[in-house]
Parts: sequence; structure tokens; C-alpha cells
Amino acid sequence: MFNQLGGATGNPNPNNDLEVSSPPEDTVSALEFSPASVPQTFLIAGSWDCRARCWEVESSGKTVPKAAQSMDGPILDVAWHDDGSKVFMASTDKSVKCWDLAANQTMQVAAHDAPVKTCHWIKAPNYTCLMTASWDKTLKFWDTRSSQPIMAMNLSERCYCADVDYPMAVVGTADRGICLYTLEGKPAEFKRAEAPLKYQHRCIAIFRDKKTKQPTGFALGSVEGRVAIQYVNPINPKDNFTFKCHRSSQGNTGGYQDIYAVNDIAFHPVHGTLATVGSDGSFSFWDKDARTKLKSSETVDQPLTKCAFNHNGQIFAYSVGYDWSKGHENYNPAKKNFIFMRACFDDLKPRTT
Amino acid sequence: MGRKKKKASKPWCWYCNREFDDEKILIQHQKAKHFKCHICHKKLYTGPGLSIHCMQVHKEAIDKVPNSLPNRSNIEIEIYGMEGIPPEDVKEHEKQKSGGGKGSDSEDDEPAAKKKATPALLGAGPSSVTPGILPTPMGPVPPGMYPGHMSMNHMMPPFVPAARMMMPGMRPLFPASSISVSTPSKPTFPAYSNATISAPPTTSAASAEPKENGDVAPPAANACPLVTATGAGSRIVHPPEDVSLEEIRARAANYRARGAAPRAALHHAASPALPPATSQAEWQSDGSWRLSASDVNDIMDMTNYKVAAHMSAAVAAAARQQAAAAALRRPLVQPMVGVLPQLPQLSQLPPLQQLQQPVRVGVPVSMPPVMGMLPVMPQFNLMRPLQPGMLLPGGMMPMGAMFPGGVPGLPMMQPRFR
Repeated sequence: MFNQLGGATGNPNPNNDLEVSSPPEDTVSALEFSPASVPQTFLIAGSWDCRARCWEVESSGKTVPKAAQSMDGPILDVAWHDDGSKVFMASTDKSVKCWDLAANQTMQVAAHDAPVKTCHWIKAPNYTCLMTASWDKTLKFWDTRSSQPIMAMNLSERCYCADVDYPMAVVGTADRGICLYTLEGKPAEFKRAEAPLKYQHRCIAIFRDKKTKQPTGFALGSVEGRVAIQYVNPINPKDNFTFKCHRSSQGNTGGYQDIYAVNDIAFHPVHGTLATVGSDGSFSFWDKDARTKLKSSETVDQPLTKCAFNHNGQIFAYSVGYDWSKGHENYNPAKKNFIFMRACFDDLKPRTT
Repeated sequence: MGRKKKKASKPWCWYCNREFDDEKILIQHQKAKHFKCHICHKKLYTGPGLSIHCMQVHKEAIDKVPNSLPNRSNIEIEIYGMEGIPPEDVKEHEKQKSGGGKGSDSEDDEPAAKKKATPALLGAGPSSVTPGILPTPMGPVPPGMYPGHMSMNHMMPPFVPAARMMMPGMRPLFPASSISVSTPSKPTFPAYSNATISAPPTTSAASAEPKENGDVAPPAANACPLVTATGAGSRIVHPPEDVSLEEIRARAANYRARGAAPRAALHHAASPALPPATSQAEWQSDGSWRLSASDVNDIMDMTNYKVAAHMSAAVAAAARQQAAAAALRRPLVQPMVGVLPQLPQLSQLPPLQQLQQPVRVGVPVSMPPVMGMLPVMPQFNLMRPLQPGMLLPGGMMPMGAMFPGGVPGLPMMQPRFR
């Protein structure tokens, strides 16, 4: 096939990373590690097979499947409660459920009129709530005990990606819109940011200022193999920039350069450097302040769909599975899906300029 | 040697004053020593050409010509062989040569210098044909061309993006500018043919184009729901419809089977007619509300999802583009109406409003009459990607819109990923 992804078609793990046992049976759509409030390390993966699975990750790297829960539709996002006892799962069945891990029970906590694309837990000093955004063009905030949202806002278009880092929240929408929200006191729309990218928004992640440790900007990934680094209040307009990534090499004359979507972006919680995973089957680590690439991985024969860092930045996990970038006909249900993990603390150290 | 008339002096390099037997060799020297990019070693044809190359390809500014004398390092002066040398430098060179070599043949300088200038311009013609690239007007180059030469050169940069797009591609997107570029084209022109950079969009022909061609600027927000690549040598690996992969996937057959899921995926409350609190049960049981007056215009009803759902999404995309040309589409649609009775009008509609209806008509059966309607079916030309702006008769974009079921025997969607 002319669109051959990755070199090692025979080897599904060319990076020699740790494989998570009993991976989901369909593409992973959400990947999150447990927060710092939990002593052990748990990994939750939501998948297109309608289930969310939980593994315990032991210090040796061994992963033990612990539990799984289903929803009525493929899961699009998962979020941990800040105390690590519950996990929220957002699904195409238009609802969000709360999974109490101890009791292994689920309960619906939110509903929309269309599939819920993202869910995030907000922990503010004076309140906590669940933020959900959906393809019904609304952004809702829920006190999980009530069936009505405590707040609902309209989005300009369907939500395609969102991220929360108190006191900032950002939502990327289908019309290349970016909307920023402040969560202090209560959630409120802050401003509409200028769209730095001309292609469909695919993923977004908030980063913090190195010194103040406060959220100060976001990284936005598009389907055109490009990431934009945007500061909310740039000191210098040149602080905002974009870089290209996840593109095949130009190739010989007449050869096309393949441009792949950036499927997910994650910031290292300690170093502030970022990782991107793309449809091309590779992940890359970048230092946005030094504006350099820190590392490129070997390409896997399937797209990488999601990535996550654990709370102390020691582990980088990424999921491998078909992301539909080549349409329905290139979907092979027999292809195995994977989640890999690697120790990443050193790889993501910033380049001292 | 005693001759009054000085023989045409040997070609010499303006940048470093070296002399050569032949202008051909001079040009080779210039390309290798002065017009070579220090980053990628690409040999350009002129100084300004090198400067532009470095700026565009490597994003690096060059301020002086490599390996040149300090007073001859101006990168903006366009020298090619003996062409383009400023007359005062010619004189100076002559003076130096004759002052150093023969006696001071001052009275010979003037006519000799003038003589050298004209053959320098014209003489460049026959000998510089050897690179085989110059389509510059060789023959009747009036001396007045010379100042024109320089000014044209400065105009090059704006033409370059257009040239760049045109050269490698077979599709003259900018026919007007391509004509104007090719005739006064300088030696720099061919240099840019290789520089197919996947640069940020230079010209914004913000039209909706199929993805394969890669010649088009990115779509304007909200105007055209297609993902297309800019630059001639690149292609975005994404279904053409500018809808998120999750939405496309959620529509697909695999996830349909799970009861509520596909309904959920389908239901995007963009239609104002839809009451916000539509429950699942309502949705499932009463599909017919879709066909109410305003909704009919809002919805693209295609055949069942066993047929590639994204095809119908592609139809939706194509249809949305044709909002203005609704009337045009009608005649085309008519034959299909017999095929798909619930397809009244492919007007502008919010994405993903698709219903799963029971199979209406066997789509493949209807294909032949529809096929007859479209003598030109570029989407089935597997050899060549779809061209930008290529419209089927009737104004329909060649998105396979007419063949949601695929034509039997023809692979579906393959062309998109060429």
C-alpha cells in the first residue's frame, strides 16, 4: 500500500516499550493516569469498544488489569476525580458516567443532546464540578449529584478538544474556534482566542509558566501535522509560534509528503516539555521554549491515538490503534490495539539553551 | 599585440575578478563558487536567486555573495556569466587589465567597453544556452533590456510562489500569472521548480477542493468543509470531509449496532427545529419528523449505513458547497430522486445530520442511469488525483456524491488516498 505507515511492519513495538497487558479490543480514545492523590499508579483507557479499563501499573512496569466498565456507546473521554476514587467516562451515548472504582459501580452524572466529546474534573478552592463538552455545541458544568447542570454555555460549534488546568479551561471547536474560560469563582468565558491554525483542531493541552507554575497558554494540534503554541497573554507576539510535525519526509521528486494529524498532545508535569502523538505512528518530544525537538520515536505501523504522563512525569503512555484517518475502508478490526509505556523523565528534560 | 581593436576580452567573474577562457566555464564557476547554498549545496543561477532560496527554504538571510571580493559582494546585483555587470565595473576591469597588461590604451577603452557591453548581453545568448534552461528572449535583446533585466528581477519574488505552484504540478491554478512568469523568466526560475516546500499557504484560493491534488490553499473557516493540503507535493492523511475523525467513525457501521450509540452519534442538535430535550425513544421511533418542511431542506438523507457512511458525509460536504448552485443541481438530482426518494435537495446543511432509514432503493441498481448522466467521472481516474476546481457538469463536485453506494466493480474511496 502506498500509504505504508512506519517502517517495521513486522514489529508492532519498534520502540521496545512496555506493553500494557490485555489492551482494549478497539482503538483507545482516552488515556489517563491516576492523580497524585492516589499512592499507586493506575491507568484508565477508554476505547471505541465501549469500555473503560483500569490497570494498576506496578513499579516494575508490570500492568495488572483491575476492572472494566461499559457504556452504551464508544467512550470518547475519561477523567479522574481529583481524589482518585472515581473516574468519569464520556461516551457517544450522550451521557457521562461516574465510575466509583472502589465499589466498581457506575452512575450517570451528565447528559447532552449529542455525543459527549470531552469531560474534565475541575477542582477549585471553593467548588468542584465536572466540565463536559459535546457535539451538541454546548459546554456544561455539573455537580455530580444533580441531574441538571449548574451551568451551561453555548459553544460556537461542536467541541473537538478541550483541556482544563485550574484556573484555566480551553475548548477547541469545529469552526477553528478556541474559547478560553476562567474557572475562578465560577466558570466564565474569558475570551475567544485567535485561531492560530488553519486546519481542523484535533487536540489541545494547557501548559504552565515555568516560573509561576500557573497556566499561561496552550498547545493546539491540528490535522495538518502542525502544533501551535499560544500564550494567553504573550509578552511578545513572537512568543506564539507553530511548528510542523508528524509528516513523512518529502521523498523524491514526484513523491508526496504525507501530512498526518496530531492526535494528542501532553505536557510533562515536571519539565514543561511536551509530547505529541500522530497519525503517522510516531511520537515526538519537544521543548517549546528552546523550540527544538527532543526526540522522535520509531514509527509503529498504526496511528498513535492518545498519550498521557503519570502525575510525576516518570511514565509516558501512548496508545496504538486505527484512528480512522484513512476512512472506513482501512479499518481492520483484526488488528490488535496496544498501549505502550516507557520511562520518560530523562528524555523530556528541557534542552538548556 | 599591435591590433587596434582589442579582441573581446576573456570572460571574467564580477564577484572575484577571475578570468576564464569561456563564458560557459565562467558560469560554472559562478554557480559553484558564488551561487551555491552553503546549507544544502544547491547551485542556484544568480545571487538574488541564492538569496531567495536561502530565505524560503532554510529561512536564513544571506547578505553577501560567498567567496566574493569585499566590494563585489552585493547579493542583489544580478550577474549571470558576463551579463548584468554594471558598466562602471566593466570599465574598471578593463582599465585594470589594460593598465596592468598592455599600455594605457585609453582611447580604446571607451569603444571597447561599449563593445563589450553589448556582446555581453547578446553574447550571453548563444553560449548560455548550454545550461539549456534559459527561456529568456535571446535574440533581439536590446541594450535597453539591461535595466529592465534588473527591475524584473526584483519582481521575481512575488511571482515565485505562483511559479512554485505551477512548475511541479500539471494544473495551472493561476493561468494568468503563469503566463507572465514564463516569458520573462530568468535563470532563477527553474531553480524554484525544485523548491516544493510545504510552506504555509502563500496564495489563498480559498475554494473547496478535494484533498488529493494538494495544490490548493487551506479552506477558509466554515466556508468549505474539506481538508485539503497546500503546496504541490503534500497530502493530508485525513478523510476529505472536514469533520473530526471521531464523528466520522461514530457514524460508521461498526458502531451502529449498539442500539443507542449510532443514534447518539447521528444526533447533532444543529437543527433548530429539533426540540432540545429529544429523548432516545422519540428519536428512534419517530424518524419521520425529519421530513418536515424545513428539515427536509436541512437534511441529507442518503442510503443506509452499510454503504460507506463517510461517502454520504462526502456527499454532505459536496452538497454544502453547492448551496448556491442548488438550482443547478436539481436537474442532476432528478434522476436520482427516483433512486432515493427521500433526497429532495442537497442544500446547505449542518454536518452529520444523517438518519439511518430503512433501505430505500438498492443503490447499485440505480447506478447505471446515473452514470449515464455523468460523462466525465474524474473521481474514477485512479491515475490522477482530482484537480482543484474540477466540477462535474452540473456543478457537482467530484466527490463520489453521485455514487454513494460505490459503483460496482470500482473500489470506493481509493482515489482519495492517492
